[in-house]
Amino acid sequence: MATCKECKNFFPLTDNPAKGDCVQRVVDPRQAYYKSKPVNAEDDAASCPSFQKRS
Amino acid sequence: MAQAALKNTSIEEFEKKQEWWWAAEKRRSSRLDYLRKAIWKKGAIGGLYAPGVKTDLEQAVLTTNMARSLENAPDPYVVKSAKIFAHVLDNKTIFITDHAQLVGYTGSLPHTMNWNPSIASILNAEVFNDPTSIPDPVDKNQAVIQDIVGYWAGKSDLDKMMPVFDMEDMMKMLSGSIGWGVPLARGGYSNKDYEYLMTGKRAFQEILEEIDKKIDEADELVHTPVANKEIALMYDKLNNWEAMKICLEAGIRIAKRYARLARIIAENFEEDPKRKEELLKIAAACERVPAHPPRTLQESFQYDIFIQMMSRTEAIEGAWPCRPDYYHGPYYDKDVNIDKTLTPEEALDLVGEFLIRAAEVCQFKPKFAREGLQGIDGTWVWTMGGVDANGRDACNDLTIAFMQAARLVRVANPTFAFRWHPHVQDKVMREVFECIRHGLGYPSIRHDPILIANAMHWHGHPIEEARLWVHQACMSPNPPTKHGYQPMRMANATANCAKIIEYVFTSGFDKIVNMQVGAETPDVTTFKDFEEFFAAWVTQMKTIFSILVRSVNRARVLAPTLTPRPFLSAISERSVESGLDTLDPSIARGNAWITAFTWVENADSLAAVKKLVFEEKKYTMAELKEALDKNWEGYEEMRLDFVKNAPKWGNDDDYVDSIMLRCLDECAKFSKEIKCPCGNNWPILPENVSGNIHYANIVGALPNGRRLGDALYDGGISPGPGLDKNGPTAVLKSCGKIDHITQGRAFLLNQRLSPTQLAGEKGYQLWRAYMRTWADLGLDHVQFNMVDDSTLRAAQKDPEKYQEVIVRVAGYSAHFVDISRKTQDNIIQRTVQGLG
Amino acid sequence: MKCTECGYEAPLSEFRYLYNARIDGSISIRQCKNCEQWLAVDELKGVALEKVTGGAAPWGKSAGIEGLAEDVKKKKRRSA
Ligand code: SF4
Repeated sequence: MATCKECKNFFPLTDNPAKGDCVQRVVDPRQAYYKSKPVNAEDDAASCPSFQKRS
Repeated sequence: MAQAALKNTSIEEFEKKQEWWWAAEKRRSSRLDYLRKAIWKKGAIGGLYAPGVKTDLEQAVLTTNMARSLENAPDPYVVKSAKIFAHVLDNKTIFITDHAQLVGYTGSLPHTMNWNPSIASILNAEVFNDPTSIPDPVDKNQAVIQDIVGYWAGKSDLDKMMPVFDMEDMMKMLSGSIGWGVPLARGGYSNKDYEYLMTGKRAFQEILEEIDKKIDEADELVHTPVANKEIALMYDKLNNWEAMKICLEAGIRIAKRYARLARIIAENFEEDPKRKEELLKIAAACERVPAHPPRTLQESFQYDIFIQMMSRTEAIEGAWPCRPDYYHGPYYDKDVNIDKTLTPEEALDLVGEFLIRAAEVCQFKPKFAREGLQGIDGTWVWTMGGVDANGRDACNDLTIAFMQAARLVRVANPTFAFRWHPHVQDKVMREVFECIRHGLGYPSIRHDPILIANAMHWHGHPIEEARLWVHQACMSPNPPTKHGYQPMRMANATANCAKIIEYVFTSGFDKIVNMQVGAETPDVTTFKDFEEFFAAWVTQMKTIFSILVRSVNRARVLAPTLTPRPFLSAISERSVESGLDTLDPSIARGNAWITAFTWVENADSLAAVKKLVFEEKKYTMAELKEALDKNWEGYEEMRLDFVKNAPKWGNDDDYVDSIMLRCLDECAKFSKEIKCPCGNNWPILPENVSGNIHYANIVGALPNGRRLGDALYDGGISPGPGLDKNGPTAVLKSCGKIDHITQGRAFLLNQRLSPTQLAGEKGYQLWRAYMRTWADLGLDHVQFNMVDDSTLRAAQKDPEKYQEVIVRVAGYSAHFVDISRKTQDNIIQRTVQGLG
Repeated sequence: MKCTECGYEAPLSEFRYLYNARIDGSISIRQCKNCEQWLAVDELKGVALEKVTGGAAPWGKSAGIEGLAEDVKKKKRRSA
């Protein structure tokens, strides 16, 4: 089962790598930005449409 | 405009044609241009949100999930509220826009409108029933919304309050005929204790230490071998302090999340070294504030944005009381003038972006609020200029920078209100005038000496505090001080005053909502003279005001326990010190007022009845009653008689002006009889927001010649549109007969001036002369529209070409193309005053 | 009164009153209950003058009464 920690968008916290941020670039009709949302390293990525395998 | 035309036309040519919006676009930096165009416009148009703007479900889901998980927890309610607040901040999506130097937004994404479902279930129902703003996929999200709406039914603040209100008052108020809004502490707008928070002495970490000390002392007290009332109440205070701590700690954590995101972008994505440096600066700022006091202008702005963002996470904030030049000014001075770490141009970019960050803020609003606030989300009227606590001129370089930035970014919200006093320097007045001349509709001008005296007269604020006042919303002054600052203003103490005169004719029965709302005064046809008629007017006025004030008072006494605000308390000295919720009336001085919408119709109507019915006896009261009952249908000649042959306010005519003064005297007397729970007075404040349009189909026919459906006058003490026939000085003279200190809290005056006449240096001097008369006559407010009819009519014809034209509506500005046709027509009807 | 668009005839009061162009003028906007067209109406004469169009997006769009407003009429007279 793929998890967030295997995803390119996952950035672990240095003091607690079990947690981290999912950071993604978004370009909407008016502006471009980076967004971030807290996730756990072990969260299930199977149903995440934004999952990108870390190389 | 086509890019080629924009490119080929010079700034000077645009300015000559008074197409200020194109000139601004060419003049501003590429950063400001990007950020200005990046704003998702969230003010409702015709009561509907613009395509693409969506309700943010994230806070609603986080709030509901956390509330569910805490249901069986032993925590007191205030601690649960704080934990929900912290959960939202810890888990919400955050973002950083390209080119931005300031971060923090109420919603999760730039196009979203924040929705807190714990406040009012009627608001939740509107979210569910507004399919245009439900995010995709609609079916799935509708189910999510349904679950949230279901959960909060019976649990929201309003649901908790309803059973303990006077139900009769509540029904009358909720009928929408006489009031506007609901009496909710988390559903109005709060000022802040800026003197505690923004003077560089402390920020969240320092406050946490103060609270810890308080908790230690309390802990010691409750464990001494004694028992008394103080100890019995101390446990509630301990709960409040604990809740405040939870909020402050969460506030520091979310800032650190922004810092982390900025670093991640800088280190992993960004290739431009300059932008990398900017991102690292953002990170440093967010690591510093709100934990500790700011050191730079950027940090100071960032601190302010975080506080506003958090306040809007805790509550719906329909206004934005602040005084940014005063509190951020010292940092501008340090960075630009002393340390020279910022050039004036770089500082201007920050100031412009600060305006943009505020312009994008939006919280989902019910339809009646959207209609009342056409084109904007709330009244962000920012206070500028004025004096300091010692009475010295407080204008500074940042005051000027704000005026310049406003002309570059041209947002309709926030707007400015400038506190004029006799020592304002000419260079500052010129900057103020340039904003008005550029058609922004702001700053409005406020008379500082009058309003300071007014704050002392009505609410007993000590002079040093009164001098620090900020606009609580559009108009009402409030000192941002320990006991002076107002933690809640409930918009429902907003009286639809045209109903006063309407109810005199219907004995208090409201034919629009079909219920007895006003007092059952005698049949109007039985009155033998004007005095009897006027006595009925006074009774109706007292009845309407009392219904509204009673419900606000009730909500205020219940607020500390039923709808507490732990975050707002945490940034208030009086709460940190006392352990009481900031809404507790016992620790506030009180600063209540009744907003008097649709006010001037009363004076014009009373004058018409006095002259044509009682004095000239041209018509009987029975005929008038019949004409009004029929909405003047079939009585057009008689209607025109009541419009044209009865004196109208704003023409320096003592006949009607003395009636206006008499009405205000009666209100002022009653304002001291009705008290708020802090023990203070309830003065009236005539202004309209855009209630003149909202109430057009709610107010019946009136003796001033208005029919049901017609827009009401544009409000405050502004004469009826087109009815001020004697020129601008006559308007000022009429308004100057009012004592702006003792007859009410403040009085809004709209004036239209001709942009052609006010061009160049000559125009400025004409305006200064006008302003001198205004000041000498002691008016507390004036605001200007300086866009000519031909531009407005062209904008009605080709709205696409005139997207950026801004007008002053009432207490706020809006883009002309975003307001309803009826409001547009109403603005065009206002007399353009020629000066000189 | 007769609707300028569909020819429907009825007493003035049966045309739904919407709002006035100015309080001190007798031009109002009413709606024909037959064809639902907005009409500019002279209240004194009880005559429908012309149709008033809302355009595709009535909010912020021209309703077309500007030709009847006092100030525009004055300007027209001056330039004539
Ligand atoms: S994109 Fe999906 S899988 Fe990747 S970190 Fe974010 S949530 Fe996890």
